[in-house]
Amino acid sequence: MNNPSDALPAPAGPEEPDAGGQGGDAWHRVHFISPLVRGWIVLVAILYFVGRDWFEGMFSGETRGRGPLPEGVGVLLAAGVLLAVVLVVAAVFLVSWYFTRYQVTAEHVRVHSGVVFRQQRQARLDRVQAIDIVQPFLARIFGLAELKFEVADAGESAVRLAFLKLDDARRLRATILARAAGVSEDPEHPGTIVEAPEREVVAIPPGRVVGAVALSGTTVALVLAAAVIITLGITLDTPIIATSFIPILIGVAGAYWSALNTGYNFRAATSPDGIRMRYGLLDTRSQTVPPGRVQALSIVQPPLWRPKGWYRVTVNVAGYGLSASTEGQARATLLPVGTWDEVLQTLALVLPEPGTPRPVEVFTAGLVGRDDDEGFATTPRRARWLAPFAWRRNGFAVTGTALLLRSGVLWRRLVVVPHERTQSLSLHQGPLARRFGVSDLQLQTTPGPVSARVALADSGTAWDLFHGQAARAAEARRRSGPEQWMKPVPVSAPPAAGPAAGPDDAPGDHPEDARGGAAPGVGGAGTIEPQAVPEAVPEVMPDVPRYVPAPSGSGVDADGRR
Amino acid sequence: MRREPIDPSGLEWSRVSPKYLRVRLIGWLIGSLVWLVLAAVPLVLRLTGVWDSFPPDWMAWGLPALVLVIAVWRGLLLPRQVAAIGYAERDDDLLVRQGVFFQRTLVVPYGRMQYVDVAVGPLERAYGICTLKLHTASPATNALIPGLPAEEGARLREQLSARGEARLAGL
Repeated sequence: MNNPSDALPAPAGPEEPDAGGQGGDAWHRVHFISPLVRGWIVLVAILYFVGRDWFEGMFSGETRGRGPLPEGVGVLLAAGVLLAVVLVVAAVFLVSWYFTRYQVTAEHVRVHSGVVFRQQRQARLDRVQAIDIVQPFLARIFGLAELKFEVADAGESAVRLAFLKLDDARRLRATILARAAGVSEDPEHPGTIVEAPEREVVAIPPGRVVGAVALSGTTVALVLAAAVIITLGITLDTPIIATSFIPILIGVAGAYWSALNTGYNFRAATSPDGIRMRYGLLDTRSQTVPPGRVQALSIVQPPLWRPKGWYRVTVNVAGYGLSASTEGQARATLLPVGTWDEVLQTLALVLPEPGTPRPVEVFTAGLVGRDDDEGFATTPRRARWLAPFAWRRNGFAVTGTALLLRSGVLWRRLVVVPHERTQSLSLHQGPLARRFGVSDLQLQTTPGPVSARVALADSGTAWDLFHGQAARAAEARRRSGPEQWMKPVPVSAPPAAGPAAGPDDAPGDHPEDARGGAAPGVGGAGTIEPQAVPEAVPEVMPDVPRYVPAPSGSGVDADGRR
Repeated sequence: MRREPIDPSGLEWSRVSPKYLRVRLIGWLIGSLVWLVLAAVPLVLRLTGVWDSFPPDWMAWGLPALVLVIAVWRGLLLPRQVAAIGYAERDDDLLVRQGVFFQRTLVVPYGRMQYVDVAVGPLERAYGICTLKLHTASPATNALIPGLPAEEGARLREQLSARGEARLAGL
């Protein structure tokens, strides 16, 4: 089934525009079982309805002397109809499976699908914004996984391959990432690309996930609802009102479950291919966000988390878009619940160069500080009555590489936008704000949960920022890494230390042998793959970026580790 | 009242065509008439006696009066709103401003531009003007310049495309 080129139902001619490495260019189909896994919901639904009728009919049949089937319909006929429906459903999925083929070339990933309405989709590998490997529970049982390839259209996934064997999905992800990164394949050993090594930086213990769920707004809502219902029940002397608690309980249980399911076993790791995240209780998901794909980041602390010192980090990634679903929110979460140290660690992954000599102090001021600590520009005192509580928190600061926007007294919030990622910037001012000489500042980024806005900044300061931001963005863009992040560049991390080869077809470059040397952690179905051993590949695994407190603090040794 | 308090000094704003005011006024006239007719329906029904008592007189008269006041207010504001629209091309970015009471100034670096739209409606075509819209990777970027003379719109489009090409910066 790997190379069905002779049995193909007439694809769009022998079109192979870019003959890259011939080894990996064959057309493939997704796994044979996948129609069953994708269609299982339909099948289960059919079986459920039929089975329920039959089951109910058995009981009523005893009392009323009537069979489970309508009069005059034989059991054989009923079974035949059921079988036919199941077969039709299976056939539809099978045909759809047969006509869906994919191909990964040196520059593109292509997917052909559809029977009557054909679709041929082609996505450039270097436009990748993120790659996810998803394992819904049923697919996990079969050892299958779905691969999602995201480009910056903020809608549905550009390429979804459901389902592949887990190992195949991993290999495909590694291939796509390696080619997108500009790593050239070893000509003597084609197909030896394995996953880049990684180093785990954050692992959230299950206890904390449970705690975070318990301290969420859902609990507050539950307590409030309980109080209202009990009060009503007592004052009106109608205990029957307690039954209205049942739907509330169901909703709360659902919210708890989805928070637990998406936050459980959360791990974040760094690798040359970017940030890797893994999480999930029944459905597991493994996300890879290549370097420089995070458009904006926000750190939030709900009031209930403050005593525990927990924070949540969410990001805008162009491929993920804005989604209200639990899944969409989980995908945009870089750290569901973390301590301040873990938040700083995560920040260091996203923003390896903080652009300030005092990153820890600046980010701490951004989250818990007020007034002008560490150079934040806040709402001027004259406008304090426009925001009597928040005016000391509203503020922004500019570092060499990012813009920090601070807000919120109860819900503390810090938004970080790298300069090279600002799409546009706008100043808003209403009549009241004009009287006080303040304006609101908004940064537009790609769609996502993070909205970068600072309210009531001093107009003059805001204008200075506004004026300089385009220049800063252009400058940051010049300094930032290439789109193909493993391509050798003059000034870069250790992996690119090899000779600065030609951009496109440099055979036998440096980084790929290190990739080839790393043992892929091939675990069983559904297991978290063991952490790659960093010592085995010292030259490709860069140091985990880490922020260092300013030198005034003690206990910092020469290379900056605490 | 100062004209452009949130705007910087030393910036030469290009203003939109005065014809755009006429287009807006025509649109305003049509819209106001439609609203006025709708708001006058209860009054007419009352006067002709189809409805005898339900809307009290003050409501029947007040509704169209309110609509009229709002329409006149918007009409008086229109010239200033149109005059407040401006754009400025700088070396690396484009600035767009709008608004009289609620003002907004937007800056879009050329390298961030994904594509440029030029749209012409029937009324705009009659007056030889067009609307230009700049799109970035963020749908929240609302860089709309209405009321450009057609040739200025074409020139700006080419100019923006060329500059965007020169400063192409991916996402």
